[in-house]
Amino acid sequence: MRSRMHPRYYLSQEIFEREQKKIFRKVWLFAGLKTLLPKHNSFITRKICGIPIVIQNFDGHIRAFENVCLHRNSLIQTEAIGCRPLACPYHAWLYGENGEVKNIPDCRSAYLISKAEQQKMKLREFALHAIGNVLFINLSENPFPIEEQLQPHVIEMLESSSNMYDSEVMLTTFHCKFNWKLAYENLRDANHPRYVHRSSLAKDVTFLPFVNTECAAEGLQPLSATSPSGLRAEMKRFSMAAAEAKLLNPKRLPFHDFVERWGTDDSYYNWLSYPNMHIACSNGGYSFTLEHHIPLAPDRTDLEIYWFTTRKKKQYAFSSWNLLSHMHGSRLVTGEDIEIMEKVQAALHADAPMPTQGAYEFQNRLVERWYTTLMDTEHEI
Amino acid sequence: MKSRWVVGGGVCLDQVYDTWGRTYPQDSVQRIELVPGDDYTFDLGALDALDPAQGAMFVALDERFGNFKRMELMQAVMERGFRLESFVSPSAIVPTNTIIGPNAFIGEGTVLGTGCRVDFNAVVRDGVRLGAGAHLRSSCWLETGVLVGDGADIGAHCILRMGAIVAPRVKIGKHCELGWARLYDRDVAARTIFDTRYPEPICVYGD
Repeated sequence: MRSRMHPRYYLSQEIFEREQKKIFRKVWLFAGLKTLLPKHNSFITRKICGIPIVIQNFDGHIRAFENVCLHRNSLIQTEAIGCRPLACPYHAWLYGENGEVKNIPDCRSAYLISKAEQQKMKLREFALHAIGNVLFINLSENPFPIEEQLQPHVIEMLESSSNMYDSEVMLTTFHCKFNWKLAYENLRDANHPRYVHRSSLAKDVTFLPFVNTECAAEGLQPLSATSPSGLRAEMKRFSMAAAEAKLLNPKRLPFHDFVERWGTDDSYYNWLSYPNMHIACSNGGYSFTLEHHIPLAPDRTDLEIYWFTTRKKKQYAFSSWNLLSHMHGSRLVTGEDIEIMEKVQAALHADAPMPTQGAYEFQNRLVERWYTTLMDTEHEI
Repeated sequence: MKSRWVVGGGVCLDQVYDTWGRTYPQDSVQRIELVPGDDYTFDLGALDALDPAQGAMFVALDERFGNFKRMELMQAVMERGFRLESFVSPSAIVPTNTIIGPNAFIGEGTVLGTGCRVDFNAVVRDGVRLGAGAHLRSSCWLETGVLVGDGADIGAHCILRMGAIVAPRVKIGKHCELGWARLYDRDVAARTIFDTRYPEPICVYGD
């Protein structure tokens, strides 16, 4: 079988911009962790689809705004994570929980902005939705319900697990030289761990490719439902949550005594939220890693890696070093994936051969059927 | 005859054992290898035959797990009643007004500025230079070649790798790892990790 993914989908700036417009500015995207916003004025900042965003806690109400001051376009919150009022550091304009301008110092003497004019000014706000402790943002002016993007069992499993997330979070970023789609094609490919991760992940977990003949056959047909609701319904199939494999040798680690456990199965869990968030739990419910792939250019993707355990039963002094050992452990696997994907990206060129797919790649085939329909037509979601 | 027990593993164990053997020929210096097993715990059986009243001990172990394994072993021997000594290499330059805590390690050729303070269980490997009034808090690990400026404050459990230079009066929060060979001329928030295998610092938020 030939893949539908022409190399231009990974190389073209024009297609990258179309993706941003037709996918990333329409769908619900991972925005951050609620556990990082524990109190009044806690905030996180990020850049999503090129838009600086601040997500801030106002007395328990969490809101998302464009992080750009209405006065001189300065960033309002400048740190990645912190706790301070939503006040611009440039000229101290202060904003309230609805994005309104609460105070302009020396407004009457220096600005001569009337009260009525000030009342009309408001930061651009974006829709925010929390599933447990995972925050999703939608940049569209008319966001569709998140339930049209994620299946009930995905929402339920994400909510249940993320409600157990601990508030101590380790975070770093890798700057990758590949297209974001390669990461998710790789994640859906259960046949690669035994080759790419044979000295790391594959020693603890056995991932085996399987063929769903019905889906494999379906993927060969053109997509029939191309209305916005039809395309959304199809997209809903691309997110998943499941215990994917049994742990071969579940190990008891010292930190297990200090944290609660989510679930009771010695399994490897995966959550994949299309288009760009992946969560894994490789130890049967004691800790989680969250990978967020941020597309920057056709051949550049930032990969944010979060690590956190389940909730602590009590504080323990070595908790940050415990997270670091998790980070180092996963860096090996992440590094192996990054290396292989950068090699794939480096080999791409406009006349590169179309990839040949196996039947086990039926999930990727369904995604690319949807993706190419969206990219190559005027259809919208 | 007084006993001196050097307990743990790694290069510091060998160094203390060797130096104490030469420095205290009148004492019985014993080397006891004690490293964590596959289950990450110590088997302390080798200490059962020792009488804490007969001598002093030094716990030498590397920086694994943010120096917590060395601290864990140190606490375990203290609970058994052993008295801990610090180790100061004869070739180190240590002003008389330096304060050095129990089980601290001051390696060969280190130069400590006047008024320095090295808290318990901190390890200052060979050739490190500490500026005047610098403060190393407990269970730090400073590798060979690290430079710490006057009045700098290094938080508990920090690891400073080769080539790290901390500017005068800079405060490094606890549980940091300064692994990028560079000048750190601004305060570093607690639990920040600079590791050469990562392109960006690793940060920890919340608690």
